[in-house]
Amino acid sequence: MKPSLSNNLANLLTSISINSPRAIYLAVALLAAFMLIQLPKVDIDTDPENMLRADNPARLFHNQVKQQFNLYDAIVLGVVHSDGIYNPTSLAITKQLSDYVMNLDGVVHSEVIAPSLVDNIENRGAGELSFSWLMPSAPKNQQQSAQVQRAIERLPLLHNTMASGDGKAIAVYIPLVDKDNSYQIAEQLRQFTKTLAQDHQYYITGLPVAENQFGFEMFVQMAISAPLAGAMIFLMLWLFLRQSVVVMGAMLIAMSTVIITMGSLIGAGFSVHILSSMIAIFLMPIAVVDAIHVLSEFKEKLQHNKAIQQNTDHRDIIREVIADLFQPMLFTTLTSAVGFLSLMLTPIPPVKVFGGFVALGIFLAFILTMTLLPAYLSRLSPKTIAQLAGGEDASLSLLYRLLKTLSALSQNHYNKVIAALTLFTLFGIIGIGQIVINDNPVRWFKADHQISIADKALNQHFAGTYNAYLVLEHTSDSKTNHKTVSAIYDAATALALPLEATQDIDAATLLTQLDDLSFEVQLSPQQSEFVNQAIAKLSNIAQQKNSFYQPQQLAYIDQLAQHLRQTDQVGKVNALSDVVRTVNRELISGRNDDYTIPHTHDGVAQVLLQYQSSHRPNDLMHFVTPQRDATLLWLQLKDGDNQTMQAVISATDAYIAKHPLPSGISYKWAGKAYINVVWQQAMVAGMAESLAGAFVFVLLMMIALFKSIRYGLLAMLPLTITIIGIYGLIGWIGKDYDMPIAVLSSLTLGLSVDFAIHFIERYRQLRRLGHDITSALSQMFNEPARAISRNALVIAFGFTPLLFAPLVPYVTVGLFLASIMLISAVVTLTLIPAVVTFSHPKKELS
Amino acid sequence: MNSQLFRASLFVAALLALPTQASDLKNVNEIVAKTNLGAFYAGKDISAQARMKITDNQGRVQIRQFNVLRKDIEDGGDQQFLISFSRPSDVKGMTFRVEKHVNTNDDRWLYLPALDLVKRISSSDKRTSFVGSNFYYEDISGRNITLDKFELVNTTPTSYILKATPIDPMSVEFSHYTVTIDKQMMLPMSIIYTDKRGNEYRKIEALKVVNIDGFNTVTSSKVTDLANNASTLMQFRGIKYDNNIPGSVFSERSLRNPPKKWFK
Repeated sequence: MKPSLSNNLANLLTSISINSPRAIYLAVALLAAFMLIQLPKVDIDTDPENMLRADNPARLFHNQVKQQFNLYDAIVLGVVHSDGIYNPTSLAITKQLSDYVMNLDGVVHSEVIAPSLVDNIENRGAGELSFSWLMPSAPKNQQQSAQVQRAIERLPLLHNTMASGDGKAIAVYIPLVDKDNSYQIAEQLRQFTKTLAQDHQYYITGLPVAENQFGFEMFVQMAISAPLAGAMIFLMLWLFLRQSVVVMGAMLIAMSTVIITMGSLIGAGFSVHILSSMIAIFLMPIAVVDAIHVLSEFKEKLQHNKAIQQNTDHRDIIREVIADLFQPMLFTTLTSAVGFLSLMLTPIPPVKVFGGFVALGIFLAFILTMTLLPAYLSRLSPKTIAQLAGGEDASLSLLYRLLKTLSALSQNHYNKVIAALTLFTLFGIIGIGQIVINDNPVRWFKADHQISIADKALNQHFAGTYNAYLVLEHTSDSKTNHKTVSAIYDAATALALPLEATQDIDAATLLTQLDDLSFEVQLSPQQSEFVNQAIAKLSNIAQQKNSFYQPQQLAYIDQLAQHLRQTDQVGKVNALSDVVRTVNRELISGRNDDYTIPHTHDGVAQVLLQYQSSHRPNDLMHFVTPQRDATLLWLQLKDGDNQTMQAVISATDAYIAKHPLPSGISYKWAGKAYINVVWQQAMVAGMAESLAGAFVFVLLMMIALFKSIRYGLLAMLPLTITIIGIYGLIGWIGKDYDMPIAVLSSLTLGLSVDFAIHFIERYRQLRRLGHDITSALSQMFNEPARAISRNALVIAFGFTPLLFAPLVPYVTVGLFLASIMLISAVVTLTLIPAVVTFSHPKKELS
Repeated sequence: MNSQLFRASLFVAALLALPTQASDLKNVNEIVAKTNLGAFYAGKDISAQARMKITDNQGRVQIRQFNVLRKDIEDGGDQQFLISFSRPSDVKGMTFRVEKHVNTNDDRWLYLPALDLVKRISSSDKRTSFVGSNFYYEDISGRNITLDKFELVNTTPTSYILKATPIDPMSVEFSHYTVTIDKQMMLPMSIIYTDKRGNEYRKIEALKVVNIDGFNTVTSSKVTDLANNASTLMQFRGIKYDNNIPGSVFSERSLRNPPKKWFK
């Protein structure tokens, strides 16, 4: 064979590594040490909002709405008492809780919702309207407790939100200054509830806690699962190689790869997102796979030499091994890297970071395998080398027999193999059709996790702890009265009123300026009269236009809310119309027939001004802006599934299509439940694109590598079947297609093509050496097939510790890795021989 | 008395008072009583126009404008108020009538013109928002001085600094407040509230004091919610003292028919 560029490079690398192993050690050690000290700078980011770019329109709008309506991310702390919550003891507990919350840092105290912190507005009869704290202190007897219950049940905003409809639970809503503190605050609350009566149940839920707690536990898992997986891989490798020292070589590669990659990610200033936390777990198998190929072939060659009693220096054997493997491994590295680099095409920042750094790690693993591993092996003692060259072990011979059977099967019954795999593929395609795209941060915890338990319990009692906001906004041009406004402006200027010079002034600004003048400047009688008239004119313009206080608009909101309440997924809707109706009822008579909306804009304004005259004047601003040009419907959803939110969006769209909004009003969504839908849609579309892109790119690489379209297509077959099979399986078992599952497609692509490359490359080498098809295929089932199956087994079993993690994404990754490895190994080892046999006429075979 | 002459004589009095530190009041109850009279009982009656500029934590502004009439039954004792809104224009004509009592709960009535509804208002306490502003009802009508225990914590060349602690801590949201009283004018220039966690969370300041008809009058004051930086600025204009407003003006009839003569 003529020496190619890659051969030369391989030789050069091995020479350096073998001749100066200490230099290699030093270089890698220095690099790893430098990266290791970057790790403490870690910045954990578990906010799913960051799945969207900072300038994503939906995210911008979500944050604008939060600000506009003074909404905060909140922890929901529920107290449940199965015999009923309206008794002096239980209510005293809720009072203790809210007192405690009011003393916690990081809480927006003025916005906490609890029985002792909200107002009751009540018609006392005889023309009297009363404002009072709903429960200023814990009731002393059952009668007072029943009064609290009656009051809550009369207030639609509180009923089923702060107190459950079944009378068994009360929820304290704890808005947070910064959602990143939610885990820490939740922990303080958990500690406190331990000091309270234990015949009550205490539950903490809310998306911010789920997300923040996930971040905390993810950190713990990084420290537990990854090392456990490392230990398991070590054990598996040891079973095959029986030499701890040699196995350490593979571990060295894996660990250096992980440390350097994570260190460079953190050092470069990227935060560790949920996905990036799994980089270690993704890189370990890839790095180990590289090392196993080298170790496996090294051992085989040692055994072979021993068998033919040839005494070659083991350093020469290393050279041979690297020369053999350099090219196929370069290609597997490139294809795996392409799979992950394609993630950088998605519009999701954390996915880009993840893809980029995994790809970096893959290259690194390759370089280390080509340098550090030879250096390490070259320094093995002769004794170890001799032991490594020792006889076959039992597990290997079992594997050997299994592979022989597989070999015979795939060649003699190639029709059946092809038919079976075709069926399997069909089965997969049907399954893919049934995939449910869904995600929910609470489901990232296993069902027995305290977060999941609390979520279930509280959503059973209350209308729902997941929030979505439907925002209606006036979009019509506020400059419709431009003529009037500019006439007033001109007249004001003529009277020498000191206005700030803006020609293109709008009604509201001009009003403010005139208003300020009337109170802050000594005006002449003439000026004063003009200003008063102008103010009256302008305030009419500013007020009546674009105001959600218009009864027709409130009626629309009311009907929309009614409709949404009848949607299965919606637990409760709180709207401005509910506030108006409630206050109106209490103002007039307290009777249900006055639970209505006043007939005039002024009537609404006067009713709502009373609502603002409470202990919590800002509560109104959660439903309408001070300018009244935007209003919000707060939807409480029973679960945080994206599918649930999606259904609510569709129901709303359908209603609005049938009952058009009053002209000049538009609607938009905000809220965490909605944001999760937005990024997931971006994710699914992005993943599909990047997978398709990577697929085409890998196919072109295969064609280039094998210089044959036929072999290129053949190499793509196993991975195609594996991907279809695995995603089909997901469809069949009904597991939601969520973030981890989406990202794993690139891992599948990268890992499952590896086996095909090694198999075909070696097969073609054998053919070039003069073997016929049958003989080449038989040879293939020796060392190459053994390396492939060893790899598959090591990775599949190596990641079983992940199955015991309390976080579902880790379990998913563990299961996925095992499936990818086993399915792609089996498919490669059966399909390629079967297709090769099938595609050659019988006579060619001999 | 001619008001200019009065102002001049007051000025002289002030000059004379300056160097004589010996005239500092020592008795905290005397300081409180004098300040209470100066801040809430100036004149026999008053008519004025007021504007509130409510600015929320995002800088969004709302306006409330109203005419106010006040008549004292007795200095330091009961008072009558009539407050009628002119803006926002959709609450124009909304009127409050208040009979403030020192020894019992106030009587409050409300008229809503759009619903043609008169309501008696009762409230568990007076620390509810005044028409959605950062002022409490109590800030406007004057907190009863018997509700707090006052201590004179400091006397500076210009001010008395008082610390007030509520006698019934459960009835209020603050743990104490600190009042800075201008010695010359005997008016509170700032009140800072400390919450039960020990944080200052609320501040009321007198921004502008004008002597009107011989009375030092705060014409501009501001309350700031220190936790979120929302604030309300209250400004007065057209202040007139001692108009001899007849008691009949403060009757239920005036709710529906605001007395035009007094409300310009």
